[in-house]
Amino acid sequence: MKRLFKNGSIAKGDSKEFEKADVLVGEWGTIELVAPEVSADTETEVVDCEGCLLVPGMFDLNVRAREPGFEHKETLVSCAEAALNGGVTGCVLMPDTAPPTDSGTLVKAVQDLVSENSPIPMLVSGCLTKKREGQAMAGFSGMVSRGVPMLTDSGNEVQCPDLLRRCMEYARDFDVLVACHCNTSALTKAGAVNEGPVSYRLGLPGIPTISQEIAIDRDIRVAGFTNARLHLQQVSTRGAVRSVAAAKADGVRLTCEVSPHHLLMSEEYIADYDTKYKLDPPLRCQSDVDAMLRGLIDGTIDAIASDHSPHTEFEKSSDFATAPFGVSGLDTTVLALYDGFIKPGYFGWDLLIQRYSIAPRKIAGVDPVSIKEGEKADFFVFDPNAETAITREYLKTKSPVTPFLGRTLAGAIRQTVVGDFCFAK
Amino acid sequence: MSELKPRKDLLDIESLSLEEIEYVLENAFPFKQLFQRSVKKVPTLRGKTVLNLFYEPSTRTSSSFEVAASRLSADVTNFTISASSVVKGESLLDTIETLQAMRSDYIVVRHQSAGVPGIVAKHTGASVVNAGDGYHAHPTQALLDSMTFREVYPEYQGRKIVIVGDILHSRVARSTSTLFNKLGVEVGVLGPGSLVPAGRHDFMQRFSSWDDVFDWGPDAIYLLRVQMERQEGQFFPSIAEYHRMYGMNSERVARMRQLGAYLMHPGPVNRGVEITDEAMGYEKSLISTQVENGIAVRMAVLHWLKPEIHAD
Repeated sequence: MKRLFKNGSIAKGDSKEFEKADVLVGEWGTIELVAPEVSADTETEVVDCEGCLLVPGMFDLNVRAREPGFEHKETLVSCAEAALNGGVTGCVLMPDTAPPTDSGTLVKAVQDLVSENSPIPMLVSGCLTKKREGQAMAGFSGMVSRGVPMLTDSGNEVQCPDLLRRCMEYARDFDVLVACHCNTSALTKAGAVNEGPVSYRLGLPGIPTISQEIAIDRDIRVAGFTNARLHLQQVSTRGAVRSVAAAKADGVRLTCEVSPHHLLMSEEYIADYDTKYKLDPPLRCQSDVDAMLRGLIDGTIDAIASDHSPHTEFEKSSDFATAPFGVSGLDTTVLALYDGFIKPGYFGWDLLIQRYSIAPRKIAGVDPVSIKEGEKADFFVFDPNAETAITREYLKTKSPVTPFLGRTLAGAIRQTVVGDFCFAK
Repeated sequence: MSELKPRKDLLDIESLSLEEIEYVLENAFPFKQLFQRSVKKVPTLRGKTVLNLFYEPSTRTSSSFEVAASRLSADVTNFTISASSVVKGESLLDTIETLQAMRSDYIVVRHQSAGVPGIVAKHTGASVVNAGDGYHAHPTQALLDSMTFREVYPEYQGRKIVIVGDILHSRVARSTSTLFNKLGVEVGVLGPGSLVPAGRHDFMQRFSSWDDVFDWGPDAIYLLRVQMERQEGQFFPSIAEYHRMYGMNSERVARMRQLGAYLMHPGPVNRGVEITDEAMGYEKSLISTQVENGIAVRMAVLHWLKPEIHAD
């Protein structure tokens, strides 16, 4: 059946202006017409979008669907639903499954699971080192031939600089992106929160900012030295942003991402040992948070990535030092950023589309999406005048552990359209 | 004394009002006088149960709570959980569930991880007393320290105390310095740079040598225990060097004596590390008084807290 999205306005990455137009999606999921005052025939379902925006689908570079191995935390089905619920129409899956995807065969196995279970593209990334152990290189060629968008050990940074160098040299010839979640384990140790007045007050072991910054500086040097393409995951400190800006000016082939949590929250949120604020990297101090926003706006930070890391409530109900790092993010990222930044006027939809739809797709090597005639339908309907209560029922992820649970955020995602598939609420 | 709002748990010092602090300290003194009598018991908590839940071994603190509870005529159960049984898989929430079934009125918790007493408090109607959690807090230690200080200095405001040693990993330093600061006692710290985090407590004056400390003229010197098992080599070069730089020795005792300053220590003492044998004999040492006051303060705390347990 054809669908006509009537009376809405189209948001774009390259313009602050919205285009008032009706959008007709054909029965095969292609946008047939974008024009004012399109009339529907009797075969067409009309979706009234009065007062709403049509926004290109977002793309998340840092997602864990937990399958295979941790299906009690999340599955590909629940992960895809969470994505669609949050206006995300594509993502990169991290390789930290069990077993980790460190070979072409395993990548293929997860790709098959994705195609059976997910209505949206989920690109399977591969490991840099075998089992993500940082000891020996994983089988690059098999994984690259399966089309991995990046090689990364995800939460495990390769600690040995020589091994990282060889990985980057080897990756360069395949022109495959190397992604690093920067962390110096000798400095992080058993840390649970950012080191500083808050870690002191709470009596929790701290993670110093230099733990990320030294790793970032090292990885940038190695990338510059080997001329590999490097993507830095989850930058969190103002020093990190400075290093990235300097390296980009030096011509290093470098991109980086930030999470919505590090854009919106400081360590001061961790009152009362609430584990839904236990993140890796940890929430930092307010001046770091401010630097994240500046870096996102000026383009030093290329992309937003939710670092979707679902855990069960029981796992997160442990004491702060013992509880696992990470929270779920796919359901809430667009709403949280609209509520925190777009509505109050810090930046516009154009920037969010640039950083959470266009740039991440470019980094992952896929074509950007836009709402134009002839393109595959890939967008969501956003009502800026509504609000959304983030409840357990609202969240589609299996893990309701998010800092936004219990909050009411401005805006509402009415439905998400991917080709002929429509996720409506 | 005016009526206080009832309080269920004692988890830290930060959340205490001055009135509450005064209430506990003033009640501790009559309990202490009780110790001079041949019968040291009062019937205050008769029929109530106190559970000592210790995830970290601690003979001194758990005994102190046990004595305090039994002098209040409560029944005491000791529930010591070794790290190995935690590894076997019973989670904290499972344990709390079990404790709920035991229907204790008071639970005294020590845990290696900061924040755990708060989790226990949230999940049970029993009054929870934090007996030390991670590097976070040890509120009854702070209360007994200030009781001890106020016994020797009834005019305590504006007086000075210096805390010496590992501030970074010390819940005692955090709670005790916070309480002294609330009471208007000036707090200084002395210790190696690797163990005294910079810029953490703006109310504490940082010293880098004993000379500076003695020039400041403290009324008491509070030595912290050196956690030898985890620190040598990582935070300072050797025990011998620590002892030379920061330990209390005869020469430093002589300077303390000139000042008339008292010596305090939360125990147990590492002789030859933070303090020499000779210095242990210093006539103005309050170390045993601290132990005695610990029982009185813990009685006052148990007497003060009000469990929220309703009979079904």
